[in-house]
Amino acid sequence: MLAPLVTGLALGGLYAMTAIIYNVMFSSSKVLSLTTGHMLMIGGVAGAWAISVLGLHPMLGIALAVIIGGAFGGFTEVVAVRRTLARPDDHLWLLSTLALATIVQQCVALWWGTEPRPFPKLLPVDGTGYLHQRYWLPVLAAILMAVAVELFSRRTTVGKSLRALSEDELAARARGMDTGRLRLFSYVLAGALGAIAGLAAGQITFAYYALGLSLTLNGFVALALGGIGSNSGALIGGLILGLITAFGTHFFGGEFQNTISIGVLILFLIIRPQGLLGSAKLRQV
Amino acid sequence: MTGFFRSRTQIAVLLLSLAVVALTPIFGNLYHLHLVSLIAVYWVLISTLTLLVGYTGPISIGHAGLLAIGAYAYTILTSKFGWNGYVAIPSAAAMCGLCGLILGLPSLRLPGFYFALTTIAFSLIVGENLLAWGGLTGGGTGLMVPSLPGLFASPRALYWLCIAAAVLASLFCYNLARTMWGRNMIAVRDSEIAAQSVGISPLRTKLTIFMLAGFFAGLAGALYALLQNYILPENFHFDLSLFFFISIIIGGRGELLGPFLGAVVLTLLPEVMGSLAQYATLIYGVVLLLVVLMLPRGLGPMLRGAFASNKGTGEHAEEPDTERLKALLVGGKS
Repeated sequence: MLAPLVTGLALGGLYAMTAIIYNVMFSSSKVLSLTTGHMLMIGGVAGAWAISVLGLHPMLGIALAVIIGGAFGGFTEVVAVRRTLARPDDHLWLLSTLALATIVQQCVALWWGTEPRPFPKLLPVDGTGYLHQRYWLPVLAAILMAVAVELFSRRTTVGKSLRALSEDELAARARGMDTGRLRLFSYVLAGALGAIAGLAAGQITFAYYALGLSLTLNGFVALALGGIGSNSGALIGGLILGLITAFGTHFFGGEFQNTISIGVLILFLIIRPQGLLGSAKLRQV
Repeated sequence: MTGFFRSRTQIAVLLLSLAVVALTPIFGNLYHLHLVSLIAVYWVLISTLTLLVGYTGPISIGHAGLLAIGAYAYTILTSKFGWNGYVAIPSAAAMCGLCGLILGLPSLRLPGFYFALTTIAFSLIVGENLLAWGGLTGGGTGLMVPSLPGLFASPRALYWLCIAAAVLASLFCYNLARTMWGRNMIAVRDSEIAAQSVGISPLRTKLTIFMLAGFFAGLAGALYALLQNYILPENFHFDLSLFFFISIIIGGRGELLGPFLGAVVLTLLPEVMGSLAQYATLIYGVVLLLVVLMLPRGLGPMLRGAFASNKGTGEHAEEPDTERLKALLVGGKS
């Protein structure tokens, strides 16, 4: 019973991080970007490329991957979000982020290849069996990320501005905040966090081009479980989803992984649409 | 005004389509026949998906999943259970309509993003289950599709069946879109609150249209299986959902003609590109991004504007005439 528990927690950490990254972008723009999973994918692929192919020191590789991730986050905002928010049509951002996600995935597939490639060991820590870093690194990173994002948004000026922006954009602008720049910043931050998450979980996901879509999906399920906008909800939702997926896989077989997580989502949408910790007011009309 | 022959573009497209449909069996080889049949089958699916995405609003990006269920339902019912093909086709379609109901009931009540992601998820889990239930679906090796008995056994006869289905779907969509149902759909798309205030139930409208779209997707799936002779899970990859969806966005939401041209162009694109076909999905993505950013209403209104004999017929238009509004406002200021 230990095996599904350990892999479930590791997967849960991965899904929780994805959900937190959704939240970071959602707070500033009310956009649930379909490129979220691709941010993690890019982080993982860039890390594997820098460390395994270029032969850089792991720390340098991590730094490079974070820079690439941040750049991709900013790119998402400039290309796919900024212009669609300026238009009156609803959900245009859904189409533009879908398009960008497709483009990125295809580009990575053409450049990196369509086979999953192994991911190097990140930390010079020894540990065998269930104590291997591939299992505890995602969980640790998820908890640290949730704490860091919470502290950031409660203690720093930029974080507080972002919260003000998510409460009421017009009021924030009336107070003299540069909302456009804040939104760009939150996307760069999301991209960088995505790269960190992709790196932390790289040893269980491998560097694989098609990872983006499935993470976009599972991260959203975690987010919907926990409640959109809540970081602690994202952490809980992610861990629950990871455990359900791992135990489901253990009992029914690995080929049903997505089926199980979507089953959870559909059940949950029927019972409690606003999520565990979300507020009902998010159900816009 | 609102007759079928509203503009010269429509007449031109209709005549051209009729000519292609009539001349292909006479002059074309089996490959040409297959291509036209394929466009017809795709159109059966895309026309009803247009009703959903273009007229009613919910964004379904997982229609390849429904196509797969239709195709596999037909194949399994005929080959494993020995059903008659003419019974299996409507059964496959009905099964997909039911899938639409099950899928739509929880997710259509929530904001659009939930529905979009549920449909993406649906197409992924269909692919996953096709591989997992190897005993029934043949897994990765796929299934041989038994051809229809009797009259429609040959490819040439099947061609006419596909054309008939496409004509039926077109008439169905055209009639639905311009009657009361169509008005309901557009009202729900433009403002759910306004629609509710005049007694339209948004959920009911969306769910009905999604079920209908599912039904026709199942029909298209059964015909698709017949056309392909052999079906594999890879045939119903996520990229195919993207393809259906992009045809509609390029053609324009709230249009029928635009998505039709989109479907024709996008079906032919990988065929004429040859060795560049591996870039097809990348090109779809780039085109989608450009259209969303530059022409959010798609190419349909532009086409109409270029050929239209009577301007300003944008009865399903999404946006006010911003150019004129801007001119008026600027004029008023000075």
